[in-house]
Amino acid sequence: MDPDRDDAARLRRGDTVGLAGLMSRHQDRLFRYLLRLLGDEAVAEDTFQQTWLQVAERIARYDRSRPFAPWLFAVARNLALDHLRRRRPESLDERPEPEAPATPDADPFARAVARQQGARLAEAVAGLAPLDREVLSLRFEEDLALPELAERLAVPLPTAKARLYRALTRLRERLLARAPAEEWR
Amino acid sequence: MSAHVTQFLALAAAGALDPAEAACVEEHVRECGACAAEAAEWSRLTEGLGRMPSPRPSRALVAHTAEAVEERLAERSERAWNRAALGFAVAFAWTMAVVSWLLLDLLTGELALRLDHPVGPTAAWYAAYMIAGWLTAGAAAALLGRRTPEEGRIA
Repeated sequence: MDPDRDDAARLRRGDTVGLAGLMSRHQDRLFRYLLRLLGDEAVAEDTFQQTWLQVAERIARYDRSRPFAPWLFAVARNLALDHLRRRRPESLDERPEPEAPATPDADPFARAVARQQGARLAEAVAGLAPLDREVLSLRFEEDLALPELAERLAVPLPTAKARLYRALTRLRERLLARAPAEEWR
Repeated sequence: MSAHVTQFLALAAAGALDPAEAACVEEHVRECGACAAEAAEWSRLTEGLGRMPSPRPSRALVAHTAEAVEERLAERSERAWNRAALGFAVAFAWTMAVVSWLLLDLLTGELALRLDHPVGPTAAWYAAYMIAGWLTAGAAAALLGRRTPEEGRIA
């Protein structure tokens, strides 16, 4: 049987063992998703905690015939989007202000790390709009196929496809603008 | 190369095309050097996205979160206990009211009278008085029940 469903049933009875099981299986993916979507570690930590509190409060509403992870991520997504709307009432599709270029006297270790491709990509992703970051994280880090991605975003399949395309092209533009193509290839 | 084909190249690298679309793109890429080069760029980009550093929550955050949730579960359990206790108290009070009224009626001989006649004015006023009293008590208990989650267990 699915351990998530067993643990959700335990949590519904108020058993903290169920909570421990659910957290151990989902905490890393959930935190990474929230950090990508929110783009701020402190806010991601707060939303991470709020998500688990809401899970404990609303576990009776979880439909045990369905997988737990999409429900958990939907709770987290609603909280994160509420926060983003409060912080920036304008469209979540918009990019944040461009970051200032790194100064020559920046920390050498940070510069060394930033030279690595993964870190540079993560940095470029962090500069995208929240909904772009979200779709990239779900597709490439959560490894969701397009139909699951559409379901997670609560949008039709063509919309999910369009969002993915838009996020990829914006990321590519950003990378090309920040460095010669050879550096990130 | 048309914009439409460019869109297909990005989505093909992302694994977001259906099999028929993917086959068309593959065929096009085999014949077009420029598109093959661009497809390779997209592939490198999407592979890199899967290898980005993966942030993890700190142990302190996980421990603090678990602690907060456990506190919330304890509060939820306490609220359920309080609701049950108040429900029992209200049901018990109503039962006692009815029983005491019947006993009193029986002792004063009114019960026998009621079996043959409609409730007389004295008994009606008595019943109205009792009902009003216990309705007030029930409302007070309900109000207290709503306040107790913030104040802790009441019994």
